[in-house]
Amino acid sequence: MMQNSGFLRTKEIIAITLILVGIKLSDSTPALLAQKAQNGFWLIPILSFICIFPSFLIMLYLLKKYNDKNLVELMEAITGKWIGKSIGLLLFLFAFFTTTLDSRNYIEQVKLLYFPPQSPTMVIFFVFIGVVFFGAKKGIEVIGFTSWISLAFIKASALLVVVLALGDLVIQRIFPIFGSGLPNILTEGVKKASMFAELFFLLIAYKATKATSMFVKGIIIASIITLFEITLFYFIYISIFDYNSVNKIAFPFQDLTQFIELGQFFTNIETMFMVFWLLAAFIKFIILIYLTTWIFGEIFAIRNFEPLLLPFSFLVIMIGLLPFNAVINELILRESLLTIMSPFFIILPYLLWGGTAWGKGDLK
Amino acid sequence: MVRLFKRQGKFNTLSKDNRKQLASSLQQNIQEVKYLFSYDLNKDFSMRSMKIKFNNKDGCLFYYSSIVDSSRINMHIIKPLLENNGDSVYNVVSIENIEEIKEYKKVIQNVNSGKVILFIEGEATSYAIDVADFKHRAIFKAENEPSIKGPQDSFTESLNTNMSLIRKQLHNNQLINEGIQIGERSINEVNLVYIKDLVNDEILDKVRKKLTNISVDSVRNIEILEQYIEERPYSIIPTVLYTEKPDKATSYIEDGFIVLLMDSSSACLIVPVTFWSFFHSPEDRYLRFLYGNFTRVIRLFSFYLSLMISATFVAIANYHSEMIPPDLLLAITASRERVPFPLIFEVLIMEIAFELIREAGLRIPSPLGPTIGIVGALILGQAAVEANIISPIIVIVAALSGLSSFALADLHLNFTVRMMRFVFILAAGAFGMLTLVGAFLLFFMYAASFKSFGVPFFSPMSPHFLSSEDTVFRKAIKKEFFRPGYLHPKDIQKRFKS
Repeated sequence: MMQNSGFLRTKEIIAITLILVGIKLSDSTPALLAQKAQNGFWLIPILSFICIFPSFLIMLYLLKKYNDKNLVELMEAITGKWIGKSIGLLLFLFAFFTTTLDSRNYIEQVKLLYFPPQSPTMVIFFVFIGVVFFGAKKGIEVIGFTSWISLAFIKASALLVVVLALGDLVIQRIFPIFGSGLPNILTEGVKKASMFAELFFLLIAYKATKATSMFVKGIIIASIITLFEITLFYFIYISIFDYNSVNKIAFPFQDLTQFIELGQFFTNIETMFMVFWLLAAFIKFIILIYLTTWIFGEIFAIRNFEPLLLPFSFLVIMIGLLPFNAVINELILRESLLTIMSPFFIILPYLLWGGTAWGKGDLK
Repeated sequence: MVRLFKRQGKFNTLSKDNRKQLASSLQQNIQEVKYLFSYDLNKDFSMRSMKIKFNNKDGCLFYYSSIVDSSRINMHIIKPLLENNGDSVYNVVSIENIEEIKEYKKVIQNVNSGKVILFIEGEATSYAIDVADFKHRAIFKAENEPSIKGPQDSFTESLNTNMSLIRKQLHNNQLINEGIQIGERSINEVNLVYIKDLVNDEILDKVRKKLTNISVDSVRNIEILEQYIEERPYSIIPTVLYTEKPDKATSYIEDGFIVLLMDSSSACLIVPVTFWSFFHSPEDRYLRFLYGNFTRVIRLFSFYLSLMISATFVAIANYHSEMIPPDLLLAITASRERVPFPLIFEVLIMEIAFELIREAGLRIPSPLGPTIGIVGALILGQAAVEANIISPIIVIVAALSGLSSFALADLHLNFTVRMMRFVFILAAGAFGMLTLVGAFLLFFMYAASFKSFGVPFFSPMSPHFLSSEDTVFRKAIKKEFFRPGYLHPKDIQKRFKS
């Protein structure tokens, strides 16, 4: 049973969103974007945001209109039980595969950077998801508290990275400003709009806060901050590594932390950032797996969905281990997922909105 | 509770008729009381018969000579009864507290709590006269929670003294001292101390219910009581605050917390708690704003050090050695060159050795005290290093983690940290920072999910509540306007903007 004692407020939602979406700045998404857009890739988040944010606002508007409904119930109310459930199921599949592919991505990242190459992916996967599972078991409120309290540390360490990197920036590297060309950037911007898809997954927690207005306020503020953060970091990557290296560097954030140094004495400080990055990564997947299970629970009307966390965690490991290596996982599977999700999340809210308008007309 | 085994043998108790009334015949009463208290066996159970002057009837006194003030009995009970005239007991006996009782059950209770029972021929009522004089220590300095700036007195094993220490600081007619009796065989009283127009009734009821639901033969003192009322006995995190300082207790009462006292303990319990109540020390508030917050920074740092330094060292040295600057790395490697053990094993040896010294130092009779110093410092420190069992750097790390654990004043928090330390060391040994961060996150989330009497453990930080935001840092005293909102006190504002 979800324990909602009304303890979550605006700031916890801000923290959850910032950690869930904001960590995009530190995984392999930049490499993915830079493949085609080259040194214009730092503009892509802005374009994607412009593409997807109106849809997101429409979702929030619809949720507010159907006051006491959560995401899945809302879709059922608008499109009817079965279509609603099917869309919900699609949403669940998206969330689930995002969790799975992203987690594999993160595992590879951890393994590549901090463990000798012969260490077994599976064991690290089990350890990682094990922690995530036990964390998610504690419920959304505890996740909220934890996010809020650790947010300060995580963001402080990110800020330190920015400050330390400032000295090495070569601003001229952002030119030509549109990289491989404006059309390329625009198409990529639309295709990768789903880099903000987590915002939609979060909507399932619409009613978890003390008042829904807190949720709306929190998620909107946080998504704007996130956009700013992501753009800032992508800008730093491009002006430090230049486009030639950025699309070869799989994990620019980690490379950046290895690149910077704290004075003359502490030259290898990446482990210090790793601690906070790991913390954020753990929390991100705790949130993600919790939301995924929640969506599943709502579709099949399983109110007490928390026991499902265990099978889902196991599935995440098993399916996450399937891709042969990190490159396939990242450049083929994850890219395809993002490209498929984008139109879904951009168009769906308009359809739902149209549905309500039409439905209303029908009633009249 | 269900009784699993029947009681064996014969007992001088009121088992059959719990509410048996007193008889009006003195002889019958005397016989019954003698039977109840096993007069012939019990050496300190005393009886004194006399001819009462004012009504010219026979009377009899019963009491435990060990727990009453005999000179007061002589001067203010026996003498007046033998010599003075008057119309009732109240006008003859010159003791401030007299109560009429009509049941044997009450007789037993009153005698046990240090009263003299007066029976008079022809009356089915007896009089419980309070002359209790339980022996206790004088008020000493707080030895386990010392402070430099601030009141030095500490609770002692006497309820009245303790109450007086609290009332001395809190002149408030709403300060209530409510007694609740617990225990089946030995009926002891637990006193709830709170401010009536502040405390949240729901929490108060919860505490009361917990206390009345205890069904056990006896609860001797507050330390045992703590384990009866806590919510999760197997948890590593404490849910009840224990302190021997009246000023600390008073400051909590003022904020709407509930304090539990018992006659037999030189400390009190405070409920509900948050993480911050364990983390704070009253001295933080007595010191000026900056000084107090500096202390807090040091304490937070030592919290990290004692919890994590060994584990961090294990993780970095084993898995992330590139992080250590080259010169330092060489120094560490050189010092470990001749040590045969794996690093984590070394750290564990040293940590356990420190725990040993600590436990032994606590139990050792004070004349033998210096031995611990010699054994600890010389054998475990110097000799172990010279024998290449332990490398010097590990001694430093373990000493640092041991030393900083003393900066965490609260005993409970101290145990939590010392035990979790080993978990973290093992976690760090497994997969370096990955598992260490994971273990820490889980520990943190476990703590965040914790509730003490319905109050989340990290409130008011998260979840947020209106309060004076006294968490890691405190505000200047003049900027503290509110009582902690997580208690839902009846009056949340404690200071008004002027």
